[in-house]
Amino acid sequence: MDFELPAEHRMIRDTVREFCQEEIAPIAQEIEDEHRFPQEVFDQLADLDVMGVPVSEEYGGLGGDQLMYALVTEELGRVSGGIGLSYAAHVSLASKPIEMFGTEEQKAEWLAPLASGDAMGAWALTEPGSGSDASDMDTMAERDGDEYVLNGTKQFITNASVAGSVLVKAVTEPGAGYDGISTFIVDPEDDGFEVTTVWDKMGLNCSPTCEIALDDVRVPEDRLLGEEGEGWEQTKKTLDGGRISIAALSTGLAQGAYDHAKEYAGEREQFGQPISKFDAIRDKIVDMHRKVESARLLTHKAAWTYDQGNEVNRESALAKLDASEAARENAEDAVQVLGGYGYTTDFAPQRFYRDAKLMEIGEGTSEIQHLVIGRQLGL
Amino acid sequence: MKVLVTVKEVAEVEDDFEIDGTGVDDRYLEYDLNEWDDYAVEEAVQLQEAGDDIEVVSVTIGPERAEETIRMALAKGVDRAIRVWDDALDQDLLDTATKARVFRAVVEEEEPDLILTGVQAGDDAFGATGVALAESVGQEWAAVVNQLDIDHLLAENVARVHRELEGGVEELTDVELPAVLTIQTGINEPRYASLRGIRQAQSKEIAPKTLADLGLEAGDVESSLFLTEMYEPESESDATLFEGSAEETAAELASVLREKGVGAE
Repeated sequence: MDFELPAEHRMIRDTVREFCQEEIAPIAQEIEDEHRFPQEVFDQLADLDVMGVPVSEEYGGLGGDQLMYALVTEELGRVSGGIGLSYAAHVSLASKPIEMFGTEEQKAEWLAPLASGDAMGAWALTEPGSGSDASDMDTMAERDGDEYVLNGTKQFITNASVAGSVLVKAVTEPGAGYDGISTFIVDPEDDGFEVTTVWDKMGLNCSPTCEIALDDVRVPEDRLLGEEGEGWEQTKKTLDGGRISIAALSTGLAQGAYDHAKEYAGEREQFGQPISKFDAIRDKIVDMHRKVESARLLTHKAAWTYDQGNEVNRESALAKLDASEAARENAEDAVQVLGGYGYTTDFAPQRFYRDAKLMEIGEGTSEIQHLVIGRQLGL
Repeated sequence: MKVLVTVKEVAEVEDDFEIDGTGVDDRYLEYDLNEWDDYAVEEAVQLQEAGDDIEVVSVTIGPERAEETIRMALAKGVDRAIRVWDDALDQDLLDTATKARVFRAVVEEEEPDLILTGVQAGDDAFGATGVALAESVGQEWAAVVNQLDIDHLLAENVARVHRELEGGVEELTDVELPAVLTIQTGINEPRYASLRGIRQAQSKEIAPKTLADLGLEAGDVESSLFLTEMYEPESESDATLFEGSAEETAAELASVLREKGVGAE
């Protein structure tokens, strides 16, 4: 058993870390305050081959494994949850399904621009009335000659307002439940596609979260991803990978919160000594460190299992559940360690606190992760 | 054209550290590519990108651990690397003349048209290896180069360089190749290695060389400098607080500065 990262992975992690510290950390609060998607950062990430880390080189990706992708996502989360979230959605939810389920033509047309970072990707499953019970969806796709006509509303869609393509889940066979769902590649330029809301959120505001309306959107039949009725099976596979990236992003948030708390506690003096010398603060920081380490171990194990080609449903749910809690708890503790300063927007912990909360909600709530893990345990 | 870039893995010391014998305790050290060398590598890679058929080779003196650092130069576009190491080189301190002798052997083997070095290394800060190497191989040189006219170099085989002198004065010099240039920070903006570059660098060659491979013997690398002691100097601080209006305190400050000899009369 070898816990040492391969040299290539370490170099990639260190390079992305340096980029994040130099280029993202200085603007991380500003883009939150402005609710601004930082296109220029994503352009730079594209230049560094970051946008398609786990996508095959054949389609313009880096050809890295899930572990490499997890390392990169963690580094982004360590400085900006919002950038990390847009990145994870772009890769896991928008790019990987085309690679896994698409035809050669679809990969050339839709995957290549995502993998190179020429375009951002989005993925639309959730609806206003359908969240955890994702199969109960109202968006319909009716066949009309050699086209499909899509109608419905999708909710909380990351990147939709900045995307070059959106993978939309829709019902092609009403009444068939899970087996009646299909996936379509929709171009936001298609007639009838409209972003109707970009939500103001508690955090992650540099990452656009959108409501989209599909009003008689006509797409040619070659935009169907895989076969009709495969949408739900694709979703489960997509989320198995996606949850590893949210676990990695959460580990990054937990690490970032820890970094800020540790640094401050070493400098801030009260009663004549650094507050890190008081048991109350030292123990808090040690616990934060423990949570980062365990979240990272679970995340790397899930990524490693994925890379072995093994079933990863339990591992990814476990990593996501643990890491998202670690992120929220560490962020809260970091605010507490910084005291009054931690509550101000001049210091980062409040931003981590805001960002971390979503990790327990998106790509399956913690309650759904318990459900998934319980099933795997035969409960 | 062949460009040789000398690079060094330097130790960076944490803010708080302990001294162990004549060095800083390993626990407080992190290793990284020397900052000045990063600029030298970037300059070489820019030259390679601007010209045709230019090979960039990096050379370092260092143990196996240094491979990770030198591989970062490969990730940024250097074609291949040479790492010289030998038990005889494992000394507390390699003086400049010794390093120049080792590099000379590499230069004689590689016969580069242009050699770039960093102005200095961030750890021992001798700032002399490049110039000593030029002297040793009998080539022209320019030190502390903060601008290089790449087009002119490619067209005329002459390095037209700006050199940074004291007091903000710059010197413009033409140096005929083959030559050694020691590169100053700020000459360019070193790139981040792309992730594809990092992946490709894993399979680029880092050729290990012993002294014998270079036709040298242990006797050739006997340093004439020895570290005798390492200690933290006692530090004193003496702060004077001026209180009162801006006018009063400014006048007081001015008289103190005059007394201490700061500023021109």
